[in-house]
Amino acid sequence: MQKAQNKLAIMACHSKISKFVYPGPGKPLDIRQVDGQYEVFTLVEKTVKQNLMKILTTETSTVYTESLLAGTIAMALCYIARILRTKTPGLKINSRILTVTGSGDSASQYMNYMNVFFTAQKQNVVIDVCALDQHLSLLQQGCDITNGLYLRIPQIQGLLQYLLWVFLPEPPVRQKLVLPPPVKVDYRAACFCHRELIDVGYVCSVCLSIFCKFSPICTTCHTVFKIPGPLTVKSKKKKIKL
Amino acid sequence: MADDEDPKEYRWETGYEKTWEAIKEDDDGFLEASVAEIIQRAKRKRQQNKQVNSKLGMMRHLYVVLDCSDAMSAQDLKPTRLLCTLKILENFIEEFFDQNPISQMGIIIMHNKRAERICDLGGNFRKYIKTVNGLTKTALIGEPSLQNGLELALKSLKLLPSHASREILVIMGSLTTCDPSDINKTISMLKHEGVRCSVVGLAAEVHVCRQLANETGVDPPPAAVCLESSLIKMGFPHQMIVEGTEEPLTMCMCHVDSTEEGSKLTTGGYYCPQCYSKYCELPVECRSCGLTLVSAPHLARSYHHLFPAASYREIEFDNQSLNCFACQKIFSEADKQVYLCSNCQQYFCLDCDIFVHDILHTCPGCATNPTTFQMFQSQM
Ligand SMILES: [Zn+2]
Ligand SMILES: [Zn+2]
Ligand SMILES: [Zn+2]
Ligand SMILES: [Zn+2]
Repeated sequence: MQKAQNKLAIMACHSKISKFVYPGPGKPLDIRQVDGQYEVFTLVEKTVKQNLMKILTTETSTVYTESLLAGTIAMALCYIARILRTKTPGLKINSRILTVTGSGDSASQYMNYMNVFFTAQKQNVVIDVCALDQHLSLLQQGCDITNGLYLRIPQIQGLLQYLLWVFLPEPPVRQKLVLPPPVKVDYRAACFCHRELIDVGYVCSVCLSIFCKFSPICTTCHTVFKIPGPLTVKSKKKKIKL
Repeated sequence: MADDEDPKEYRWETGYEKTWEAIKEDDDGFLEASVAEIIQRAKRKRQQNKQVNSKLGMMRHLYVVLDCSDAMSAQDLKPTRLLCTLKILENFIEEFFDQNPISQMGIIIMHNKRAERICDLGGNFRKYIKTVNGLTKTALIGEPSLQNGLELALKSLKLLPSHASREILVIMGSLTTCDPSDINKTISMLKHEGVRCSVVGLAAEVHVCRQLANETGVDPPPAAVCLESSLIKMGFPHQMIVEGTEEPLTMCMCHVDSTEEGSKLTTGGYYCPQCYSKYCELPVECRSCGLTLVSAPHLARSYHHLFPAASYREIEFDNQSLNCFACQKIFSEADKQVYLCSNCQQYFCLDCDIFVHDILHTCPGCATNPTTFQMFQSQM
């Protein structure tokens, strides 16, 4: 709300559901000015409270600790794509997605994460991540790919401070601010067989699946490989367990 | 190279038989809305017929040699030949790296009888798009020299190991070339080195271009043969960080024998996990031990070919849903059709159908639904 032209959308998600809480489904709430407060603030606050309450009270079964964040970001990207399609021609819009989460980011959503990161990169959407609990290595890659900011906050009490100082400024303004120094991102690959990070691995030339050991058949695309030719002969020095 | 470009792209008309019957004026008397709809339908159709590249794991090395001579300012392509070419080139670069994620590209421009390398071989597609965007302001002067352009590309491609796939794509607007010596010598050298050349002519056919393509383009790039369905050993370098120590200034292998600017000593970089040679950019083939070095996201960029998003079914709109599940657009009278995901049973608008299958490759409904999400996981 730094500028009246800025637009905000808020989504909530856990392991079972992803929903827009602002603007919510249906008509906007009927808001009257309260105590001279800027009406938009009141509208956002009321709508978010109401919709969050709905989400939290309707889910009765157990919710797992890992949220389906990649899918939520996918929805956000579709929303932004619509805004970009329907904007006045010539109008420049800087769009970004700020993810605030205490969830983990296991490799089970790897493909969806990568798809949303590359899409955001293509659409010039910046992805910022504010990690409240554990370190999120996949989301950190997403920030790096989209030129966003990744920050794992040291203590939850400081959340508001961090949101205001680190995440409120627009990406173009950030260059002028003193922000936490960029960390080097670990881009090692996880093998498809054990989901373990590896330095050297074997990649299927047909589908690019990654394996930590040589095997005669690709488990992803079922290609049967020729016995290593002259190109891969060097790898024979390593023991091959069959 | 020419065979990589979808010929349909240039034959838009094929999707538009009797399009005039479909064009209607909208309420305000504008044609635009219905034209947009026709384009969308064509897009959807194209997407459904999209073929999957069967070999993603090929490391291609491609130089794009672009004519930036006076001839490119002609306005037979709108707004000008150059601007039109750059726009298409941008799409081409994206598509090239999408289908050949561990490949490398370089860009050379030809103007005023000289050739100038504006991008070295590399795999950072963002950099190329930026460079191509910057070319809109290039001064279009004089005649091109095809020979100088080819020689410059060859000089760089020669440094690659002999089994590497090497290609040149020439985009010519000019009908003439102003060469310092006999271009036939250059053509036979390219042939000898196994560099495959393709030419896109924007004007009438130029004899020497036809000859170039014919003589060098007969055989498929050599690496295509070598790499047929194999398991390639690759390295995934990570940046070396020793806590608390300053990284030493070192020379990277990519610039070790280059005299250009930028070949300075640097800290940081990617180290080959096998022999510890340093490189400043990935992907690259290690010059000392031959290991192909890539980063995991380079490969991941193409995984959508393996695991495409579930397809959507076109259904007559009958108030099945209030709004599009993804973009929240409220469905109205104007939406004659809605799109149903066969997997997660959510409804989407036409725009989202195209966005999801063209760009995103993840169905937002499936990815936010624990049941369909698990189904997808077990497929992997
Ligand atoms: Zn495979
Ligand atoms: Zn090496
Ligand atoms: Zn939609
Ligand atoms: Zn779906």
